[in-house]
Parts: sequence; structure tokens; C-alpha cells
Amino acid sequence: MTAVPEARPGRAARSSLRSGRAIRPALRRRELALLLIVAATLLVGHASLASTEAGHLTLGNLHLLAAYLGALLVVHVAFIVTGRRMDEILLPVVAMLGGVSLLVMERLPQDLVVQHFGGHAFGLADLQFGWLILSLGLLGALAILVRSDNWLRLYKYTWAAAGIALLLAVFVFGRDVNGAQLNLCVGPICGQPSELVKVILVVFMAGYLADNRELLARASTRVGPFRLPPLPYLVPMGAMLGIALGVVAFQHDLGSALLYFLVFLFLLYIATARLAYVVLGLLVFLAGSAVLYEVYPVVRLRVDIWLNPWADPQGAGYQTLRALYAFGSGGILGTGLGAGLPSAGGAPAIPVIESDFVFAAIGEELGLIGALAILACYLVIAERGMRIAATAQDEFRALLAAGLTLVVVVQAAIIVGGNVRLVPLTGITLPFVSYGGSSLVANAVVVGLLLALSDRGVEPPASPRPRGRAFRIVGERLP
Amino acid sequence: MRRPRLGRRTTGGRTGRVGGATDAPRIGRSVLHVAGVLGLVYVLLAGSLTYWQVVQADALTLAPGDPLIQAAQETTLPGEILDANGTVLAKSVRLANGSQQREYLDDPSLGPLLGYRSALYGTAGVEAAEDSVLVGLAGESESDLLLRKLRFQPYQPENVVLGIDERLQAETERLMAGRRGAVVAMDPSTGQILALVSSPGFDPNAISNPATATAAFAKLSQDPASPLLDRATQGLFVPGSAFKLVTSIAGLGSGAITPQTTYPDQPAEEKTGFLVDGYRVIDGHHLFTGNLALNYTQALEVSCNIYFAHVGLAVGGAALVQWADRLGFGAPIPFDLPTAVSQVTSGGGPLPGGFKDRVELANAAYGQAEVLVTPLQMALVASAIANGGVLMQPRLVIATANASGTHPIGPSVWRNVIDPATASVIANAMEQAVSSPWGAPFAGLGKVPGVPTAGKTGTAQLGGTGEPHSWFVGFAPVKGAKVAVAVLLERAGSGATEAAPLASKVMADYLALQTSSGSSAP
Repeated sequence: MTAVPEARPGRAARSSLRSGRAIRPALRRRELALLLIVAATLLVGHASLASTEAGHLTLGNLHLLAAYLGALLVVHVAFIVTGRRMDEILLPVVAMLGGVSLLVMERLPQDLVVQHFGGHAFGLADLQFGWLILSLGLLGALAILVRSDNWLRLYKYTWAAAGIALLLAVFVFGRDVNGAQLNLCVGPICGQPSELVKVILVVFMAGYLADNRELLARASTRVGPFRLPPLPYLVPMGAMLGIALGVVAFQHDLGSALLYFLVFLFLLYIATARLAYVVLGLLVFLAGSAVLYEVYPVVRLRVDIWLNPWADPQGAGYQTLRALYAFGSGGILGTGLGAGLPSAGGAPAIPVIESDFVFAAIGEELGLIGALAILACYLVIAERGMRIAATAQDEFRALLAAGLTLVVVVQAAIIVGGNVRLVPLTGITLPFVSYGGSSLVANAVVVGLLLALSDRGVEPPASPRPRGRAFRIVGERLP
Repeated sequence: MRRPRLGRRTTGGRTGRVGGATDAPRIGRSVLHVAGVLGLVYVLLAGSLTYWQVVQADALTLAPGDPLIQAAQETTLPGEILDANGTVLAKSVRLANGSQQREYLDDPSLGPLLGYRSALYGTAGVEAAEDSVLVGLAGESESDLLLRKLRFQPYQPENVVLGIDERLQAETERLMAGRRGAVVAMDPSTGQILALVSSPGFDPNAISNPATATAAFAKLSQDPASPLLDRATQGLFVPGSAFKLVTSIAGLGSGAITPQTTYPDQPAEEKTGFLVDGYRVIDGHHLFTGNLALNYTQALEVSCNIYFAHVGLAVGGAALVQWADRLGFGAPIPFDLPTAVSQVTSGGGPLPGGFKDRVELANAAYGQAEVLVTPLQMALVASAIANGGVLMQPRLVIATANASGTHPIGPSVWRNVIDPATASVIANAMEQAVSSPWGAPFAGLGKVPGVPTAGKTGTAQLGGTGEPHSWFVGFAPVKGAKVAVAVLLERAGSGATEAAPLASKVMADYLALQTSSGSSAP
């Protein structure tokens, strides 16, 4: 994915060329101040972890953390040098989440995940560090280089097709992870395409809704005496969503299916402000869940565990219960990094602690306070993202910004809700914190795009598809 | 130069122009709504998190399944388990290779009671229930908990003192002689459990020793006699006539009958059966009472099914269940060990209390139909009657002790079931049942020689051709009872010939131990 370069025809080109060429470095004081706080927090966390593990006061091995902070500084300076006038809060918040992730991965047993590259074995923290640096690079590159959104808005059906193709590829070539078919491998590197597909779906939905939202918002279908929303206009989007849901459901990736559906509902409401869609969507959701409960043993098991994990504490309810014990033993202040998370038979007591249950690990070692702080980070992302959406220059950007924000914030809510037994557990990563390359990369793309969208200096494009029924902003652009 | 923000304005009211279509609503407003919903969702998440980390934190930390407790055993030797006289029942030793192992007194009855502590199979029984105390996570104040996070040795193991008398426990085990069943002995005035035997038992050393654990556990878990099951607290059995004590409490307590109540048709029904909605309740065991219409005491003496069927119908299903619940039926008994729930009916029927029909109610009143009880529950019934209608909280653990001292867990009243006068009517009838010419053939072998004894047998018909369960529930002495027992022998025969003599022996043993060593209570 590379950004389409600046050259655009028509009226819009004038101003965007101006802002594109005249690079005027601008300090980002707020971002710097927040990054310093993040750095201080992470250093204290690292020292606390190292001291607990060593049994005496020490700073420990700072290599990874120092390199991570250095990478943050590089991104920050790059933003300054290129003079982008972007949001200054998002980078520090993401840096905090990524930094906590690095600390947690350093604290967990390194042999939970081991990969070999060129004869060297890399453990959990090394691998996560690599992915974090790659993600930061991607985030920075997207934020700096993306100056046009034409490549997103013009090819929405192409993107959607690519996304579905990616999911189908997993179906054909995929590997199993914990009973769900999620992984696609290229050589030694495996990824979960469902993470990238969520971004692609958002791009498609934003594009489609931006084109059709007035019709969806105002027109109606008559069915007998009932006035329903114009359902035929939802068919292309519904079909795309249906295929995606179908594919991930067949792969038993319930978390992703839930995420896609919720983001779809939220976006539909943002585009149309019609509560009827939400009500209709929730009814479909309830009916669909009831069918899945009957048909899929996996779904039934998940719901039954949710209702009563104590029914089978050593079997089905095992990991849910272990997560609850972790929250309980963490209490308000937590055990401190490195002092909690008892092992059971040599392995961490909670299965998949590095991914699905990383929030339980944080709850135990950093306590209620730490866990609430992590939740607050996602709320800040929500606030910044929604602000970017509300002040966007046109509908596509507004919907894209809202959708990108939602995939991060809703995904975090789904997995945290599963960890604290508020909703049934569905396996999905905690954005920026869970171990895993695909998740980090996909979420870095999300935030990179959000940052690019937040730049007030970038023009929206001229009407890219001059068709007759374009409810667009052409007329408005006159001063 | 900054361009105006077009997105919001274009959707304003000024642009309607194409094909008569009206404008779409402002995106900003619906974005705000969605942001509000997200905020609400996160408040819910924070609420759930707070629930587990603050409200439920203690309960979770002390729960036997907490991996923290299991991890503690790798660094800390758990405390000892002692009986009321200070006899060490279980202790941990550090082995030469650095690992630790639990060692138990050689008494197979300790298996089902204490459970085991094993690196391979976790914990069970008292070891599981008192795990957090034994490894030293429980019993600390908030400030201690905070300090613990700053210490490198976070655990303070405590010893657990049980109310049982190991001499009585071992003797009872010997009396059971490998037969399937259970004995619960308790002090009715304090609720202290004196012996809790489930038979067959097992040697917990076989499971705590890693060398023999796998083979021993496989053998025990496949044994058809289920030695791993603590029958006393977890086993559910048809009580037969022993349940007439509960019907007595319901009948006399609710005022549905008095001690003088007779049923004029009852003598005739002895011969033909008591017809309840087409079903005949039959008796036949005491034709020698002739044409006498029995009063309450006489009916209990001869264990008259027909009389108690009448009482059950007079009390009604709802009240019978309600009075049973006051004795501990219908919910797990709050006890140191997990307990199975005793029931009067399986419920779900249309009649009050959940009975299917009047036939079920009539049969339940003398302990058949769907009535299922634990031996511990029946010991509580005997204790409530013995203690003048006041049911004490049953206690297995009577104290915990650590370096800083002993913390006794004293007696407390659990429930006031019936008034003392009613309790004394039932106690008197139970004494007659053991000692009178009419009663002795049924329960006479339950008498403790030289001590006024109260008791009630049960012979629980199980259908089919097998032998019935044999029960005896009673206490001694009748006035100022020192010990109440419930004895169950699975498929052993009649209560009169099997359970009653064993109960007599257990009560006599305990009273003898009391006189020889003074009081065993701490």
C-alpha cells in the first residue's frame, strides 16, 4: 500500500500542492510533553519489573525499551520536520499502550512464543519489539505520506474484493490456531488476515455510505402498511458484510465477526442517524445469535461458560475462571509487575495470557488502577477519533475516521468485556497490547490513517466521480 | 491558509437541490451519539472490572481454585491439620530433593474427610476448603494485604484445628469395617462435629506421595464403591422412616397435629391400606397394635407409615417443604465442606411445595417418594431436637492457629426451628421408640447401655430387589444431650438390625471417651 502521490487534477490541486510542497516544520509541544510522560512511566515500570525479578533495586536491561523510546522520538521528529498539522494526542496514547505491551511481554515467560530466523531464536519480547517497531514505522509513514484519500475512496469495491479474497485465502490455505482457522503463512511469517480485513471493510463501508447516505437516511421502502428504510440500497453493503461474517464464522473467528457487525451498525447509524437501522440490526443480531447458539457447539459452549464458568472449572470454564482469579488477586493496587501471575505447572496459570488474556495479566500486576488507565487510553482514542470524524471535511472522511476509531475501540471493548465476564468470551486481540504482528500492524494502519485524516492542511479531493446524482460538496466549495 | 470545514456545512439546510431529495442529517450529531454509547460501554467495563477487583477480590483470592494458592505451595509449607485433642492429622515435610510432601495419620477414614494435597491432583476435602488458611493467604487485614505485596515471603501458613476426636473417628471407621455408608456425630449444644466418617475410606498418603499417586488415584476413581466421595456431606440417600422426624417437626411445629392427634380410620387402614387418590399406603409392620388408633408418640414408637402419611397430608406440601428448609433442606448447608442439597421433593409438580400429587406427598411424609438427604442433614435434624429446637451452626473447624496465637471459631446459633416444648415431645417419643416394649423391636438396639437414648430408625425401600438403606438417627442422653448421630449403611438391610447397634456403639464410645478424659472440647 503506497500513497498516491500529490498530483491531482482540477481545482483542488492548487491548494493541496501548496500545502504539499511548502514543508514548514512545526513544533508539536503537546505531543512531546505527553511522550515524555509516557517515557517516564515506562521507565519506572521497567525498573519496577527488573527490581522485582532481581530482588534488589536495578534498572535492568534497558535495550528494548530504550530502542522503543528512540523509535517514538524518530516518529515524533519526522512529524515535526514534515510539518504535518495532525492530532498530537494519538501518538502518545498508542505509544503508552505499545510500551505497556512491551513491558508485559518482557515479564511473561519468553518461551511462550519462539521463532527462529537465520539460526537465532527470538522470544516473546524480542518478537513483539520487532512488530512494535515495524508498526510504529508504518504508522508514521502513513501519517506523513498519505495526502490524498482518493486511493481509498475511488476503489472501494476493489478493496472489498481484496478483503474477501484474503479471508477466502485463509479458508483455503489457513492454519488452525486454538481451534479457529485464522492464520495465513508466507514463509516463516504468519498473520491473521481478519485483522487487516477489518480496516478494508471500514474503507468500503465509509465509501459506500458516503455515496448513498442521503437516500438511506431519507427514503423508505413500503412493505404493506410499514415504512421501512430503503433496504435495497443496503444490499451491496449487506452482501459484503454477509460474506465477511460468513467466512469468519466458518473459521470460528467469532470475535472478528462480532467486531465487523458492530462497526457496521455504528457506521450505518452515523451515516443516517436512523435508529430504525440499529433496532433492525440488533434484531437480526439476536436472531442470528439464537441460530448460531443452536447450530454451533462453539457458540453454545462460549455462552454456557459465560453464564456459569464454575460448572466445569477444570475444563471449559478454566481460562475464564483463571482470568477472574487474576483480577481478584490484583485488587486495587495490583501485585506489581513481576510479582503476580502465579504459574501452574511451570506455565502461566492463564492460557493465552500473551494475547486474549493480556488484560487479565495487567489487571493482576497493575491492579484496578492500571487496568482502568488502559481502558482510559482507549477512551482517549475514541474521543480523538470521534473529534476527527466530527470535524472532517466531507462525509467520506468523517465516516472513515469514525469507522477506523470504532474498529480499535470496539475491539478493545469486546475482548475486555470477555475478560471481565461482561459478555461471552470471543478470541480477539487487545489492540496495541496483545502479542501478535497482524494485530499490531493492522491497528498501526488504522491510527496512521486517522492521523493523516486529522491533518487540517490536506484538501479533500474534487468530486472524484462526477455522476449525476452525486450529493456531494461540489457546489459548496465556492468561497 | 486553512480551508473552511466543509463537511458539516454541506449537510446543512442550504444545499437541497438534486431530484427533490432532502438532505442527510448532520454527521457530527450522530458521531456524538456514538461517542456517548462508547463512553457508556466503557463505564460498564470499568464497573465489571471494579466488581472483580474490589467487591469480589477477597472471595476470589481465597477460593480453593486460585492458582496463587497452588503457587504458594511451591515455596511454603502449608500448616498442619489437628484434631480437637491436638493430634496431628496432616503435616507437610520438606524432602531431600527440595520438594514437599503431605503426610497423614494412618486412618483411612481421614481420606474422604481431609481429602488430599497432591502436586498432581490438587486438593480435596478439608485440604481444599481450608487451603487459603493452610498456605497463609487468609485471615489478614487490608493493611496486611498491602504490606504483603512489599514482602518477599508473602505467606503466613496457619494450622487448622478440627472439632473431631480422632479416637472416635478411628473407632467408628473400625466399626464400619469397609461397609458402604457414613456416620456423622456432633455435639448438639455447640454444633461441633465429633466424627465424620465415610466408608469405604482411603489412605490420602497414597495420593500425596508422587511415587504412588497415579496408580492410587486411578484405582480409587475407578472403584465402584466410590471411596473418593464423602458420603457424609456429598451423598444423597432415601431416608425412609428416619424422615418421620422432619414430618414430626412440621406437624407439631405448624400446629397441624398435637401429641394427642389420632386418626380413627388408621387401625382399619392398617389392614386394607390407606387409599390416597388410588394409591394404597401400606404398613403391616405393627399389627399387634390391634384396633387402637395411635397417637403421635405411639405412631413414632411403631414407625407407623399410615399415621405419618395422614400427618403429611394434614400439614400440606408447602408447609412440609418450608419446615424442612428450616432444618437445612433446599440449599447447601453453610459448612466447612461443600454439601449436597437435601430435598423433600424434586419439585416442579402442580401441588403446593412442588409435589406431583397427593400420593407423592403422602409417601414423602414417611421418607419415600423423592425425598433425598445427606447423613449430615439427618445429624442436624437430630441435633435440633436434642438441643430444645435450637439448631446450632455445624462446625468442622473449631480454631486456626499461627505463630501469633490461636483464633477460636466459637459456637453460634444457626436457626431456631421449634419451641423447646415441642422438641421435648419429639425427644420423648424418640426415647420411647428406643426403649418401650412397642418401640424396642424397631430401634431397641440403638440404646446406649445405661444412658437414656433417643432415636429413630429408617429402612429406606429403594425399589427393585436390593436390600434397603439402613438408618439410625438419634442422640444421648435424652436430657442435656452430649452427642447426636446419623448413621447410614447403604443397602445393608433394616435400620433396626444394622444401623441401630452401630449408632449405639458410636454414642457409647464418645460418652466413654468424655468420662475418661474429661471434656475433649477446647
